Amino acid sequence: MKKYGFMTGLLTFAVVATACGNDGSEGNAEGNNEASAENSVEANEEEAEVTSLGSEEAEVELSFWLFGATGYPELAEEYVEENPEVSINFQEIDMEDHHNNFFTALSAGSGAPDMAAIEVSEMDSYKDAEDQFINLNDLGAEEIEDDYLDWVWEIGSSVDGDFQFGIPTDIGPTVMYYRADIFEEAGLPSDPEEVEAMIETWDDYREAADTILTETGIPMADNPETVFNAKRDQAPESYFNEENELILDSSPYVKEAYDEAASMIQSDYIDNLAMWTPEWGGGMADGSYATLLAPAWMQGVIKDNAPDETNWRMATMPEGAGNWGGSWVTIPEQSEHPEEAFEFLTWLLAPEQQMKAYENMGLFPSTPEVYEMEEFVNTTDEYFGGQNTAEIFAESALEVEHVHKGPQYGDVNTEIIDGLFNVMDGADPEEEWEEILQRTEQRLAR
Amino acid sequence: MKSEKNKQTVGKILVYFGLIIVALASLFPFYWMFVMATNPNNLINQSPPAMVPGSELVANFQKVLDSIPFFQAMLNSLIVATSVTLGVIILCSLAGFAFSKLEFPGRSVLFVFILGTMMIPPQLGLIPSYFIITQLGWLSDLRAVIVPGLMNAFGIFWMRQYISSAVPDEIIEAARIDGCTNFRIYWNIIVPTILPAFATLGIIVFMAIWGDYLWPLVVLQDQSMHTIQVALRALMDDRVRDYGMILSGTFWATIPLIVVFLLFNRLFIKSITDGAVKS
Amino acid sequence: MSEPYRKEIEENEPQEVNSQPPGNKPAKKKARTFSQKQRNIASGYLFISPFYLLFAVFGIFPIIFSFYLAFFQWDGLGDMNFVGLNNFVIIFNDPLFWKSLYNTVIIGLMGTAPQLIVALLLAFALNSVLVKYKGIFRLAIFLPYVTSIVAVAIVFSVLFSNQESGLVNSFIGLFGFDPITWTRSEWGAKVAISAMVFWRWVGYNTIIYLAGMQSIPNDLYEAAKIDGATLRQQIWHITIPMLKPFILFTVFTATIGALQIFAEPHIFQGRGGRPEGITVVLYLYRDAFASNFFGTASATAIVLFFIIIVFASVNMYFANRIGQSSKVGSK
Repeated sequence: MKKYGFMTGLLTFAVVATACGNDGSEGNAEGNNEASAENSVEANEEEAEVTSLGSEEAEVELSFWLFGATGYPELAEEYVEENPEVSINFQEIDMEDHHNNFFTALSAGSGAPDMAAIEVSEMDSYKDAEDQFINLNDLGAEEIEDDYLDWVWEIGSSVDGDFQFGIPTDIGPTVMYYRADIFEEAGLPSDPEEVEAMIETWDDYREAADTILTETGIPMADNPETVFNAKRDQAPESYFNEENELILDSSPYVKEAYDEAASMIQSDYIDNLAMWTPEWGGGMADGSYATLLAPAWMQGVIKDNAPDETNWRMATMPEGAGNWGGSWVTIPEQSEHPEEAFEFLTWLLAPEQQMKAYENMGLFPSTPEVYEMEEFVNTTDEYFGGQNTAEIFAESALEVEHVHKGPQYGDVNTEIIDGLFNVMDGADPEEEWEEILQRTEQRLAR
Repeated sequence: MKSEKNKQTVGKILVYFGLIIVALASLFPFYWMFVMATNPNNLINQSPPAMVPGSELVANFQKVLDSIPFFQAMLNSLIVATSVTLGVIILCSLAGFAFSKLEFPGRSVLFVFILGTMMIPPQLGLIPSYFIITQLGWLSDLRAVIVPGLMNAFGIFWMRQYISSAVPDEIIEAARIDGCTNFRIYWNIIVPTILPAFATLGIIVFMAIWGDYLWPLVVLQDQSMHTIQVALRALMDDRVRDYGMILSGTFWATIPLIVVFLLFNRLFIKSITDGAVKS
Repeated sequence: MSEPYRKEIEENEPQEVNSQPPGNKPAKKKARTFSQKQRNIASGYLFISPFYLLFAVFGIFPIIFSFYLAFFQWDGLGDMNFVGLNNFVIIFNDPLFWKSLYNTVIIGLMGTAPQLIVALLLAFALNSVLVKYKGIFRLAIFLPYVTSIVAVAIVFSVLFSNQESGLVNSFIGLFGFDPITWTRSEWGAKVAISAMVFWRWVGYNTIIYLAGMQSIPNDLYEAAKIDGATLRQQIWHITIPMLKPFILFTVFTATIGALQIFAEPHIFQGRGGRPEGITVVLYLYRDAFASNFFGTASATAIVLFFIIIVFASVNMYFANRIGQSSKVGSK
């Protein structure tokens, strides 16, 4: 039914588009009318104002909304060459804008693209709206499931696993970046293997922090957010349980992560450099902090901010890695040609293409098969003192476990991070924690 | 006599001094924008940050051109801003004329209604407005930005205030006695008198439309239809924030605006002297 | 708010008595069947109709929708649940809402009141025949208005850096002050945001006043000079009263603009803002677009609408009294 649906969808669209004089589709109208005589089997009742028609032979034009620099348009050129009946229209914008736009289109009931990426922190807020998405399992997603890391695949699934919202793009396994020169100055070992052996637990991390602070006066971490995130992501549960009930005051893990960060703040192990501020970026070059607990994609940020620095190294995260970032590509129910979209996505996000995206843009693959590939295994990075960086990330990626986040995850997170910065500005950690609970409750009551 | 002159000189110096301070304060962030647009990211982020122009002028702009269809977006913005500006000037001056000089039942209520529409926070209407645009089939069509942009309560308010202040009722009465229709009065008397108001409103509307991003971002989805503000948003990558590139984009997008301002500015001055000669 | 307005409008009404030309215009045969009054009514409605037509298409539906939503709980994608007045109860019980209202008023006062006064002074200076290079000054003062909000935000976030080495912190350090955590301190955040508002909009208001001053016929000043009026008397008895429509305009638009401040704090403090700088519109934007609580966001919008009406009326009332006692006017 859907199979023939898309052709008629095109026809309906062609008529509407011509009526509005949309992007030069006048040229198509004639060809379509001919086709419509042969092929007008069923009327399509869905709205078809979306721009999904491009070239002269009435090809399938897929629209794809994503954010950030993915390099996917360049990758897709190959696909379009091999599949001339398909053309793809990309829209790449800022992440916040992207999610707002996509949400608006779903909410208004029209204007959504054929494919849209959803970032990990937003994913759960779309999961209540199964009717807005195509269940990718109906299109055969189960067949490719095994190509992807289990925990990554699960983030894109409903809680019971029956409904698959999206196919994973890249991931952000976290590691500990550190400055070899600062470690040395403090009289600590600076070789990655030695550092890994020295800092295996959070207690080890604090000990090193203390030595570094006494010997050099430099704080161990950039800000409370990265430290808190690192420890929080190691726990088996986060802010909500699978019924989406808030478990902040019943589950010990988040409070432990909060306490750890708060006490490090009070010991002056943590600096005041909020993420993405210029001074935070500048700190990468100036050596304002000794470690940066961050995901794989942060290496690009470090290189950009400290192009001449030779002292950054990376080691595994104390007590285990988490994931930070990555997205899942969904096919909205509004799509006129979900099958073509799905076919394209299975190609784009297959291991071979993920390898290329890693080479081109540093997007870390969510397909473990890549971790075995020769060109991947042999990735060393001169910037990081010739370390085999891919290996460290791959090791982290395999360590991560799936944690349920819940639709209002972002709201709770904002309150906690705000609270940690208040502690930095002098608030009492316990009182602030009570405030956080209150503020969170206030927000979730809406 | 002499002390009077001295007083005047002192006053003059004070006025210039104040103007220069304000001008420098206005220009400094702009200068700095240029500094950032010509420096690599690591120099912008260092502390203290770079304070003199660097050598990356071309390189940063090249990165902009590689990332977004800069000139296409500029053209789209120009089309949108020009059409809205022309439309608003005409529609608002007609309405402003009606509200200030024509008597009709419900005039003050209708005017207060227009003022009332200005008080509605625009952020929330996004979803229903988007729905209307999809129903009209105007997604990724410049009309989606142009047509709603013609609805400009500020412009009507501004024109009403200007016309009621600048056009004496006696002139209109005289024209009526000569048998002018209301439209002829508008065209032959009001329009020439309020050219400076056109220039002012023109600048304001042009800049507002040019700088708007929330709405165009939502309705202009095709990259070929992006306005410059929407395109510039794409430079704000979530993971790598290349300030040099972003500010290079905004800097070069601002230059044409300065040209537009200078053009309007001349019209602004010219029309005043014309007016002075006439009276 | 309609009261001062109506008053203003009445002052400008054309004299009905003279408006009917004696029927000595043979050329206008057809028109003679309509009185001037009827023709004014017809063209009046015709001239203002485009706004209302556009409003009917693009304005009404969103407004009704928002009003409707205020009584529902809705996450934007799922079902809507009717909750009566509960959304209003929630926001009125939320200390952060009151905080956002307080912030809005404070930032509005700090950002706009000095701005209007400085703009008026600048316009006087730029309108004065004594000052040369007006074009350059005008361009310099207007330039901030031309820059995009993205650039403004980046530049100001560097200026108001929390670090001791930040530019503003270094500057106040010269006077012996301690560095301020601009993005997170109660007054620091407000000062930084107000500074952004002031910088970006002062040129805009200057241009409005300048246009207003240039609408004043020169002969009024000439006449006053012949009567021996001093500069101060000229300003007080001619410029201010004649400028009143423009002062009303700027007070009204600045009040509305101040109560709808959004972009500056949004970019200065991040997506959700922080309690020190959150404004009412940012509060509702956060509910709607960061958390998908459309019900409370709509309720906030409605409350804000009434707040704006109150503030705008009060401000217009006082602005309308400027120079009223010494009215010279065009009569």
